[in-house]
Formats: sequence, C-alpha cells, structure tokens
Amino acid sequence: MRRIVWLLALLPVLLALVFAAGCGGDDDDEGDAADTEATDTSGGGGGGEPSGEPIVIGASLPLTGDFAEPGEAARRGYEVWMEMVNEAGGLLGRPVEMIIKDDQSDQNLVVTDYNALIEQDGVDLLLGTFSSLLNIPASAVAERAQMVYVEPAGGSPDMFNRGFEYLFFAQQATAPHQADLFSEWVLSLPEGERPTTAAYVAADDPFGAPVAAGIQEQLEAGGVETVYSEIYPPETVNFDAIASAMAAEQPDVIAQGSAGLQDGVNLITALVAAGYSPQQMFQASTPSFADQYSDAIGVENTEGIFYAVSYHVESPTPGNAEFLEAYRAKFDEDPAEDAADAFAAAEVLQAAVEAVGSIDDQAALKDWLHANSVDTILGTLSWDETGAPEQAFLLAQWQNGDEEIVLPEDAATSDTIVNPKPPWSGR
Amino acid sequence: MTQLIQTLVLGLLLGGVYALLASGLTLIFGVMDVINVAQGALIILAAFITWALWNETGLDPLLGVFVTTPAMFLVGLGIYLTTVRWIQGKPPSTSVILTFGLALVIEGVMGMVWTATLHRATPEYFNQSFTIGDIYLRKAQVYGCAIAIGVLAILYVILRVTWLGRAIRAVSANMSSARLVGVDPTTVAALTFAIGVATTGAGGSIAAVLYPFLPGSHYAWISRILGIIVLGGMGSLPGAVVGALLLGVAETMTATYISPQWATMVPWAVIMLVLLLRPQGLMGHKLREDVAL
Amino acid sequence: MTAAAGFLGRNAGRIAVAALLVTILIFPVISDNRYYQTIIILSLLLAIMASGWNIISGFAGYVSLGQTVFLGIGAYTTAILSLRVFGPDEFGQGGANPFYFIPISAIVAGLFAALVGPIIMRTRGHSFVILTIAFLFVMQLIVLNWGELTYGNRGLSLPLPDWPREWGNLPFYYIFFGILLISVAMSTWIRRTKFGMGLIAIREDEDKAASVGVNTPIYKVLAYIASAVWIGAAGGVYAYYLSFIDPRNMFDIVYSVFVVLAVLLGGRGTIWGPVLGAFILEPLNQVTNNDFDKWFGEGIWDANVRLIFFGAMLMLVVLLLPRGIIPSVREIVTRRRESKTAAEVGARFERKPLTVVERGALEAKAAAPGPLLEVRGVEKRFGGVQAVDGVTLAVERGSITALIGPNGSGKTTLFNLIDGTMPPDKGEIWFEGGRVDKLPPYRRAHLGIGRTFQITRLFKQMTVLENVVAPLSSFSYRHLAADAVSGNEAERAHELLEFVGMHKFAGHRAGALSYGQGKLVELAQILMLDPTLIMLDEPAGGINPTLIAHMEEMIRELNRQGTTFLIVEHNMPLVLGLCNPVCVLARGQTICTGAPDHVQADPAVLDAYLGEDFVLERKAEVSS
Repeated sequence: MRRIVWLLALLPVLLALVFAAGCGGDDDDEGDAADTEATDTSGGGGGGEPSGEPIVIGASLPLTGDFAEPGEAARRGYEVWMEMVNEAGGLLGRPVEMIIKDDQSDQNLVVTDYNALIEQDGVDLLLGTFSSLLNIPASAVAERAQMVYVEPAGGSPDMFNRGFEYLFFAQQATAPHQADLFSEWVLSLPEGERPTTAAYVAADDPFGAPVAAGIQEQLEAGGVETVYSEIYPPETVNFDAIASAMAAEQPDVIAQGSAGLQDGVNLITALVAAGYSPQQMFQASTPSFADQYSDAIGVENTEGIFYAVSYHVESPTPGNAEFLEAYRAKFDEDPAEDAADAFAAAEVLQAAVEAVGSIDDQAALKDWLHANSVDTILGTLSWDETGAPEQAFLLAQWQNGDEEIVLPEDAATSDTIVNPKPPWSGR
Repeated sequence: MTQLIQTLVLGLLLGGVYALLASGLTLIFGVMDVINVAQGALIILAAFITWALWNETGLDPLLGVFVTTPAMFLVGLGIYLTTVRWIQGKPPSTSVILTFGLALVIEGVMGMVWTATLHRATPEYFNQSFTIGDIYLRKAQVYGCAIAIGVLAILYVILRVTWLGRAIRAVSANMSSARLVGVDPTTVAALTFAIGVATTGAGGSIAAVLYPFLPGSHYAWISRILGIIVLGGMGSLPGAVVGALLLGVAETMTATYISPQWATMVPWAVIMLVLLLRPQGLMGHKLREDVAL
Repeated sequence: MTAAAGFLGRNAGRIAVAALLVTILIFPVISDNRYYQTIIILSLLLAIMASGWNIISGFAGYVSLGQTVFLGIGAYTTAILSLRVFGPDEFGQGGANPFYFIPISAIVAGLFAALVGPIIMRTRGHSFVILTIAFLFVMQLIVLNWGELTYGNRGLSLPLPDWPREWGNLPFYYIFFGILLISVAMSTWIRRTKFGMGLIAIREDEDKAASVGVNTPIYKVLAYIASAVWIGAAGGVYAYYLSFIDPRNMFDIVYSVFVVLAVLLGGRGTIWGPVLGAFILEPLNQVTNNDFDKWFGEGIWDANVRLIFFGAMLMLVVLLLPRGIIPSVREIVTRRRESKTAAEVGARFERKPLTVVERGALEAKAAAPGPLLEVRGVEKRFGGVQAVDGVTLAVERGSITALIGPNGSGKTTLFNLIDGTMPPDKGEIWFEGGRVDKLPPYRRAHLGIGRTFQITRLFKQMTVLENVVAPLSSFSYRHLAADAVSGNEAERAHELLEFVGMHKFAGHRAGALSYGQGKLVELAQILMLDPTLIMLDEPAGGINPTLIAHMEEMIRELNRQGTTFLIVEHNMPLVLGLCNPVCVLARGQTICTGAPDHVQADPAVLDAYLGEDFVLERKAEVSS
C-alpha cells in the first residue's frame, strides 16, 4: 500500500523528466536542420539552379582509424559527385546535401551511425561505407530499414549470401572474381612458360581471403600445383617467417590477398630480404596505392607486379573526363581508386532516382537497379539478384615505375606485359 | 634443415629486441609492484618520435636511440610524478586500470599528432640482408639486435655496479629495510620508473625500423612483453632476456611450421600456462599470490 | 510538510531508482525518437555488463579486465546455433529465430565460467588480472581462427528481425531491460544472503574468511558464474540486435575496460552503482560521438579524442574518485547523521555471562580417544629460513595450553599451519582423531578449529554484527541462499556480543573500532563457529590491563564450558597464571613442555627465552 502511495507521489516527477527528455529531442532536431548546411553546397554555374527542399543523402565513412586513407578518398569522391550534381541542376531539380559521419573504422560505430542517419537525421537516401568489414553490418541496418544501399567498396562474398534486396555493390566484380583476368592470362601462357607451382597467402579478412582463394581455385583447376597456402591475421607486421617458408618452396607464382597497404608492402619487403623473387607476383589491392606503394618498396622493385583495379584515370569510360576535371580542380591531384569507386556508387544511386523519378519509394529504386544497367566512370555495371555485380576487373601491372592497364585489351594502356618478373634489386 | 636454422636465427634476432623492450616492464614491476600496461604505448611513442626525426632531419633511426632514450626518461619521470606515484601500494588492479587509461591517452595523442595510419622508418638498409650460405640475416635486425644487447648490457651494469642499482635492488628486496639504511623509496621508485620507460626509447627506435606501427599497435606489444616477463619470471632481468629469446623463437616457429594465424596466440598461451603451472616463471620469484590450498 | 520532506530524504535513493526504471519503461511509449532509444539500448547493455562484473569484482573483489569474454561467448552461441546448427546454411537467410537461443547463451556463458573459474581463481592479485585478459584474448583468437565454425574474421550475419518494421528495436529494448532487471534483482538477492556476505568477506580478507569457515573456492566460482550468465544472455540479444558479429568487436578489451569504468564511476560493490555508471557513461559516449561535431564543428570529435577522453576519465576516476559516486554520496550523508551518535563509541563495556549452548555433538566428540590436537614433526621453510623445524605438540582436550617463545621462534607460523592458512612442507596434523593437514582452512573451521590473529583481522567494511554472523560452521548449497543475518543467528550473535561486552557496538563499522575492541569482536566472531579448539594469537597484546582481566575471565568461562584453548602470548604473568601446560618454542622447535613451574625452572628455556629478554619485557610492562 505504502509503495503505491509513493509511486503515485512520484508520477509528476517522472512526467517532468520525460517531458524534459522530449524537449531535448526536439531541440536537437532543429539543430540538425541548421547544421547540415555546414556541408558545402556552393558552386554555381552549370545548369539550372536547383530549388526546393534539399534531398539529404547519408553515409558513414572510416575517416579515422585503420581505413582512414581509403575512407578519406571515398569522401572526396562523394563530395565531387555532390558538387557536380548541384551544379548541373540538382537531383530531380532539388539540391543535394550530404551528411557524412565518421565510423572510426569501428563496426559497432558504423551500426550506430547508420541508425542515427535513418532515425535521427531522417535522410532520404543512403550511400555505403568503405571495406567489407564495415559494409556487412551497415548494409544490414539499411536492409532492415528497407533503404537502397549502394556501397563503393566491399566485394566480400559474405556481403551477397544473405539474400539482401536493397544492397548493390558499385564495382565490377566480387572478391573471388577479383583476379579472373590474371588467372586466365597465367593459364593461357604457352607450355614451358606456364608456371607449375604457386604459393598463396591472404589476410584473414572478408576481402583478402576470398581473393586468394579465388585465384587458387582457378589455377588449381588449370593444373598449377599449390605448394603453400596460409592465412595471416590482418594486423601481422612481421612477414619474415612467411617469406622464408614460401622461399623454401620455390613457387613460380606468388599471390597475396592483402587487406590494405601495409601487409602487401611488408610481404614484398620480407621477400626482398629473403632474396626470393617469383616468376609472377600478384597482390590484391596493395599496388593500387600508387606512390605510397612504390615509395614503400622502392620503385625498382615494383616492376612486373600484377594487381586488379576497378578504375584507371585514363579510362575512356562515360563521364570520366568530367569527373577528372572536377576532381583535379577541387583537390589539385589525380583521384585515388577509392575516390572513383565512391563517385561511381553515387552515380548508380543517381541513375536509379532519375529513372524512377522519385525518392519516396525505395522498393521501386531497388527494383529498377535489379532490372537495368548503369553507365559509370568504372564502365557499365549491372547486378544479379543478390546485388553482386556481373562484370570483370581490369588487370594492371607496374611497368617502368608506372601503373598500366594490361588487360582486357580494349581498355589496355600498355601493349606489353612484363613476364617473367625481374628479380628484386634491393639486395 | 636450412629452413629450421633460418627460422631459429630469425627468432633469436627477434628475441634480442624483445628482451630490451621487456626489460623496462620487468624492472618497474620488480621494484614497484606495478604492471605498467602503458609500456606498449610508450614503445610506440618512441617509435613515432624516431620516425618523425628520421622523416624531418634524415637522422638514422637507429642513431635516434640517443635522442629517444633521454626523452623517454623524462616522459617516464613525468608520468611517475603526476600519476603512478599516487597509486603505489594500492591493490594491483588499481595500477593496471590506471596505466591502461594512460595507454589509451597516449594512443589518442599519437593518433592526433601522427594520424592513425601505419608508419615505418625505412633507411636504405632496411630491406637489405647479409647472407651466410643459405641463411640470410636482415641488416636492420642484426643492427637492432646488437644495439639492444648493448643497451641491456649498460642497464645490467647500472643495476650491478652503481649506487642507484644497489638502491633499486635493496628496495625491490625489502622496502622497509631499504628505508632504514637511508634509501628513500620514493626517489628510487621515480628513477626506476624513469629508467624503465627510458628503455622503451631505445627499444622503440629499433622497432620503428623493424616493423610498421600505428598508435593501436601497442596492444600487440604489451601482450608480447607481458608474456615475456611472465615466462622469464616477473621482476627478473635475466629472466626477461631468456623469456624474450624463447618467445621470439616460439613465434617464428609457430608462424613457419604451424600457421601465421596462431602466432599471435603464442604470448597469451604462454601467459596462461606459465601463471597456472609455474607462477614464478623460469627465473623469478613467485608472482602468484596463491589462495591457500 | 516536514514529514514528507523527511520521507523524501530517507528514500531519495529509492525514489531516484524508481524514477529511472519507470522512465526507461515508458520512454518508448512517449517518444518515438529512435536515436534516444538506441542510446538507452546501449546503456542497458552496458548496465547488464557492469552489474555482472560487479558481482565478481565489486562483491568478491576479484578484478577482471576480461569480462567481455562472456558477451562474446553469448553472442557466438546464439549466432552459431541460429545460423550453423538450426539455420539453413546455404544462403544464411532465414536462420532460426535467435531469441530461442538466448537462454542457451546464458547457460553456455555460465558453463565457461564454471570451467575456467576454478582454474584462474586459484590465483589473485596481478596474476588474476593478467589471466582474465589472457582468457579474453585466447577466446578471441580461438573464435578468429576456428573458421569452419565461426567464419573467423569474416564474422557472422544474423537474420534480420521478422517483426513489423514499426516496432523498430523495441523488442530488443524491452528484452535488455528485462535482463537488466533480473540481473539487478539477483545482485540484490545475493547481497542479502549468506553467499553475498561470504563474498564481501572474501573481498575484505580472503584468508580470514577461509579461517572462519567460508568455503572460498565454491563462493568465488559461484560468483564468477553469477557474473557471467546474464552477460551471456545479453550477448545473444546483442548479436541479434547488431545482426553482425565478429571476433574483434565481440571480445573487445576496450569494452571490458569501459565496463570497469562504469562500475568505478557509479560505485563498486553497490547494487545500483553499476547501473548509474552505465547510464552516465554510455550516453556520454554516444552524445560525444554524434553531437559534438554538430555543436563544435566537424572533425572535433574523432577516434583519437575519444581515446584521450575516456583514458583520462579512467585515470581521473582511479586517482580522484576511487570509491565511485554512490558510496561517496552515501558517506557524506551518513557522516552527517553519525555525528550525532559518535559519542557512543566511547561507551563502557558491559559483559553478561554466556548461556551455555546445547551441544549435542560435544559428548560424542568427547568419546574420541587421545589429545584433541596433535602436531607431529611439522616443518615449514620460507626461502632460506626454516621457520618451523619439526615441531611435535599435543593439546589435551579441555586444557588451556600456552605456546611461548622468543620472536621469530615460529609460533604464528605454527598457527597458520594448524588452521590451514599455509600448507606444511612436512609432518602431520591431527584433530579430533582425524588427519587435517591436507584439508582447506574452511574445512578445519567446520571441524571446530577457531583462531584469532595477532593483529586483528576483521572485515572492516562490515558492521560488528555482520562480522559476528559471517562465520560458517558448515557448508551446504542451501545455506548459501539463507538470509545473511537471520533470526536465530542474529540472536546468537547478540548474545556473543553481550558476552564479550560489545553489544552496544553491533551496528558500528568494524573498521572504526579501537584495537582492543577489535580483539573482543574477533573472539565473539570465532565463538560463532562453536569451536572445540580456540587458538588465540596474543590475546592480551597491546590492550589495557582492565581488558586483559576481562579476557582472562572470558577464557576461563569458556574453558569451563568445555572449550579447549591454545594460546600464544608474551604476557608471562597471564600465561603462568592461566595456562597449563606451557609449551616453549625456540628456533622452530619445541624445547620444553610441561606445567608452568616446570617450564620456568628449565635451564634450556631460561637460556633461550626467559633469560634477559624476559627481564626486559617485564620492565617494559611495568613502565607502561
């Protein structure tokens, strides 16, 4: 009885508390509207002035933490796209605003970020984050909210085995098919030149491991014997043991499914120290880090190393010239691959919105994307029912200190392929 | 056979550097009964300072030892006077939690100053090797190991010969009797902590050449050096050296013959097994305060 | 008016708790702001973690820095059962509803605690802290590397919730809330039982707890299990909530430390402190993360600032607020109140005779032949010092045996060997016709050995009454659940306190007592065990002559009622007047045993002990 009395006595206090909380919420919402303007929407020139209520697009990117470098590149891609769209009259005639949060390369934060974007900021459209590791949890948030989720970087097969309908990957192929052209080329070499043994090493990472596994499967099917195959933790810094164990097997091909810049660099460094140079060397993404890569291992050691890329600045793809111009004007340098991928993701979203003619029906947007293909600066992209793209990556190779596309022939920037790889010169 | 010898050599060279990195932790524990969890972060801090010097002035990272060691000595003194001093004699968990907080702060500061991306000092010899028959020795590792041994020798001489060394040993054996013979435990503790942190200066400079690092790398280092001193016997300097060599070899052996995946497990597995089966480690006094029966 | 204010003042804590709970309960009804819901969900999770951690680390004092291991175990249990065992594997989609497996997550977490607990809880201090961290990392690496089952670093994606979209995260919200309520209810219950009291005793002084009959290993392992199960359950819910789990985030050392920070902030060892800490810390974490940029400009709050902020907060709490908010506030309040009753501390003793307790077993025990306690050739060595070197000694039933000898002759060590605080290197100890030297200390207490310490060891944070009811003369699981201070025991405890003359202090904190008062309470405490043999370590040391007389009187009275005594004492007049026989130790060996007159006359004794020292000591006593 006494308890009931004091519970009753308490009610006013409670209501006051809740009311205060409610007010706090309202204040905050007003705050949002004001500060989204912080994003730069000036630009002028170009087509007609966009007008009306802005379309707000939300994304979270790893601007700090382990993936800070690609995260920053992706942000530039998104920003360049936003400015180009606004200059050209906006999306559906309305100005575009972006809210980009920082998930600090942390999976828990990326989930809170996308929840906050959808529920607190009330964004109209979503764009994806960088890396499979972060896109896997983030895409689940979008799927639950039934919002189209186009992501620029995250080709792990684990992304696409969940039956998601609103997920689209804006590159040419998933991780197991990253090196399709490399495997085909290796197996097409004439008898005698064709390698007979291969070593595979991959980061324990949703992207790196499937890349190496994909090459291994393709080369084994072509009769190349596997002499070494190991997974290492992504934070591994000491590759001496791995390099010496690989060298002991004398493989013709070494393929690495690397997670980022450093594990790729460290393997090369350790191989140079161990003095073992394979006939063909493939690394999943490390060599695409341009100068950072060649500075780290020494430009003379880059000669002949293969990798797969989604984008090359000289590609004659639709819209690439305009993108390059805008990007160079804004940042005074060439775009990194990750910036181009982010730009392409935004292009995909843009195409769907313009084709459907409205942003109100997310289901219509995803249906359109499943049924059509989109021209981007990475080339034409289309998707299967899981959101996995159906095209092929470009095969690139370092030649004379430059990155060249060697295959497919119609996109090639160099007509020679360095083979076999010359020995290291660091020793 | 060649591969076995190669693996052993790699492990021993690694172990030499580990020994230096672990020496400060074991020294601080021996005298103050404090596990300095921030030791890993301090190693990385020294590595960043080395990198910055090399990057700005071109100073050879291994010569950076002469700058980082005194710098880290001062850092250690500062940490002792502002924080660690106040929690001496409190329950062990207190010092672990406090220094963990310190590690997080240092990690954040490094991230702000140098960004949370991988760094590595790459003087021209960093991926060159000496070869003896079929065995190769990386120059950076050979130089690094040599410097580590040199610093350890100096540390040993300080502890054996000087007044400070005797005072440190007196305090670590028995604090109250040390006070009786005129040794002020607070001064000794301050100097010990500062020397313990100064070792990370030399160690960090060497590590900066050997491995790429980022602010978050300190977890890997603290687990490794904790494993080493638990194995060698907490508080024992010779124990740390033996523990370091064993752990270095165990890591490379695991990476070569089992899988690189399990190599990270080695320090933690060593810690668990040693604390449960032989708590005093190889050469230390008994750390484990056991529950009666 | 004043009555109402008084009511509010007295119940301020409860009112705040009720207000918090009701607010959480009805918040989603009033506001549909999902951002705040998310913050509350994450706060609830942290509160569950903190409340669990508090049982092992707050109550029992065993600080674990790896508590997230149970979150990870719970999350992986639910995810693996849902996806790999009961779920269609081909396309992941439509795995079995994870909610079914949450009870199993709780059980699996409890099983891990039950398996690992007995191993790592044999250690304490630094070793225990390090081992908890090692356990966390080893589990993380196992999950990471056991790819066939866990998909390793690729993580596991759980099915999306199948309830209507409008419900949002509310099911998670209320399930977390429910788990938190259960967890806190369990903490409250534990705190009130014998079990909880035993845990506090272990935190205060584990060896002492064992010597008064607390079965410390079982208590600790049970506490470890209790601290794990609800975290395990929460892990299962959390996995479903996140819909994606991976080893690095599920077995996260930083989150473990975050939990520690929450409890330290709110108040370690209190019921609501962990919850309060969690509800301060997690909103702070989220707000700083999401809103600082808006308020202060972009890029202000990044991963680095976050590390610095929380690292510094951890250091500041350890250095400046080590006891936490709730205990600090409570202390201020009690201090204000206690100032009125402080005068009582100076009150005089009033002793009452002890009513003889019916001891049915006494007769049966008396039938056992031979001496009550026999020590046969016992040895103990510390490093290079042979502290006890082959002592043989018998304590006859009903005697008051004295054990004397110069400082360092091994008296206290011998006590430690007899009560089990230390194991002997060699030799045998027999009690009541059974060998006891392999038994743990609490078993010896159950058999009837009670012992006081040279420097009194009371549980300082407990009241005098709680100290007296803490001893346990037997162990049974049912007993654990009994009220900490129940009717019969409380009566008996009051009686014992009256006997030693300390009943007026029953409600005082033991830490506030004077040295002499402490000795009396410690005597009452071991009397609670109904011991057949009481070992007193310098009962008259450092207390005033009036109190010495009291002490002597009490010993005689207890002895008349059938209790045997073994006393270490330096006060020779007391020894020679009270004890027979007297046993003399020197350099770890018995050199003489016999009646006081006989011992006084023995030349070896005079030489070793009574000689010059004896004279000096008497002088010192006279002058003081």
